[in-house]
Amino acid sequence: MLTKLVSMDRRIVFILVALAVIIPMLFPISLPVSISEPTQNLYDFIDELPADSAVMLVFDYGPSSLAELNPMAKAILKQCFDKDVKVVGLTLYAVGTTMGSDLMQEIAEEKGAVNGEDYVFLGYRPGIELVILGMGTNIAEIYETDFYGTPTTELPMMENITNYDQIELVIDLSSGNLTEAWITFANVQFNQQIAAGVTGVIISQMYPYLQTGQLIGLISGIAGAAEYEKLIQSHAKGTLWINVESFVHLLIIILVIIGNIAFFVQRKQEE
Amino acid sequence: MLLTQFSPHSLSQGIYEEVLNWARIITPFALVFSTITLLQTHITRIRRQTEHWQYSFLVFAGIAIMVVVGIPFGPQNPVFEWLFNNVQLPMDATMFSLLAFFIASAAYRAFRARNLEASLLLITAVIVMLGNVPVGDLIWNKLISLTPWADTYPDGSSWMKQWILDNPNLSARRGIILGVSLGVISQSIRIILGIERSYLGGGD
Repeated sequence: MLTKLVSMDRRIVFILVALAVIIPMLFPISLPVSISEPTQNLYDFIDELPADSAVMLVFDYGPSSLAELNPMAKAILKQCFDKDVKVVGLTLYAVGTTMGSDLMQEIAEEKGAVNGEDYVFLGYRPGIELVILGMGTNIAEIYETDFYGTPTTELPMMENITNYDQIELVIDLSSGNLTEAWITFANVQFNQQIAAGVTGVIISQMYPYLQTGQLIGLISGIAGAAEYEKLIQSHAKGTLWINVESFVHLLIIILVIIGNIAFFVQRKQEE
Repeated sequence: MLLTQFSPHSLSQGIYEEVLNWARIITPFALVFSTITLLQTHITRIRRQTEHWQYSFLVFAGIAIMVVVGIPFGPQNPVFEWLFNNVQLPMDATMFSLLAFFIASAAYRAFRARNLEASLLLITAVIVMLGNVPVGDLIWNKLISLTPWADTYPDGSSWMKQWILDNPNLSARRGIILGVSLGVISQSIRIILGIERSYLGGGD
């Protein structure tokens, strides 16, 4: 019995995980979400921006991370459009192009924002560091046209935006180490304020930059997305999925405890 | 490029701009080289008929279809968008979702308190996992409500997680960042001075 428990068939674990995901999805419950300081800081920064100021939203992720990062992007866009803050969208990650474009259009339609006036989506350009450095001099030199082919200089919203001097904040939504490139090249070189939204696996990487103030705020994984949804009072997928994640985390902890008890009892018996 | 960072002179800034422009032109060629390397790898696999060599044809088919649709018609073409939204997106998301199952299975097998180090790792992992989801604070608040310190220590689960991230994690991360940065600087100097030539295919 103990041996069976210690070396439990992994298919049983898979079935338990599947149930821990499916059941809370079918019967959603609402757990209280507490707001972390880095998330609150980002929300406050955008909330205090005057109308018609501009932020840059960077979709540095692909489909594999959309479950965590799309809810953040949506929540930030909703806040910006509600506050009349202009949004310059772009990506340094080729597969982020279609996702970023679709997502901005979706939220713009919901909030009645107009392409070219309230937001622009510039698309993708290769050469991560070079794109970040180049935009410090002139955004229109890097992105001659937006994603839809309109010359950047002809976009009404871009008339008063030349480089980072007119961008209040860069928010990098990233599933890799691109946030560090933004910090190195945009923050250090041009003193650009940076905030980030990252997947759960790279949260710990970001804390040194939070402590130095090189990141003014941080949305951490799906938990951060749920916190942001709570702050903008628009509960969506972030809130649903953090409740699902709660059950999966609980299941893993219970499995680990059971595994350890079985392991120690077995070791005792062997002695 | 290094020297241009120390001078605001127009000549220095001109050089900086020029180098950036050149670099921007050269960078897309990396994509061409990577595609050629990928094709070479899979041609070799087919020629040698290594294990699962048949799947290499799928790589060629994927590249051919996306290139034929994407290059002439652009990424906004409905067929290109359909292929992205209905093929690449679900496949990519599915692959990543499978991680949850494997991580759960691996955690069950690997997280054993065999010694002090493993026990510390186990305890830290449990605290961070609980603190990262709302149910952690819910359990904490229920338990603490049974004690006289209910009002003194609310939301202890997320507080402990935050403390771990802010202190031990931050210190270790900073050490790693400093170590890696010093390594990159010393390696760069070796390459610039011609001491390190292994990237050219040399022996050292």
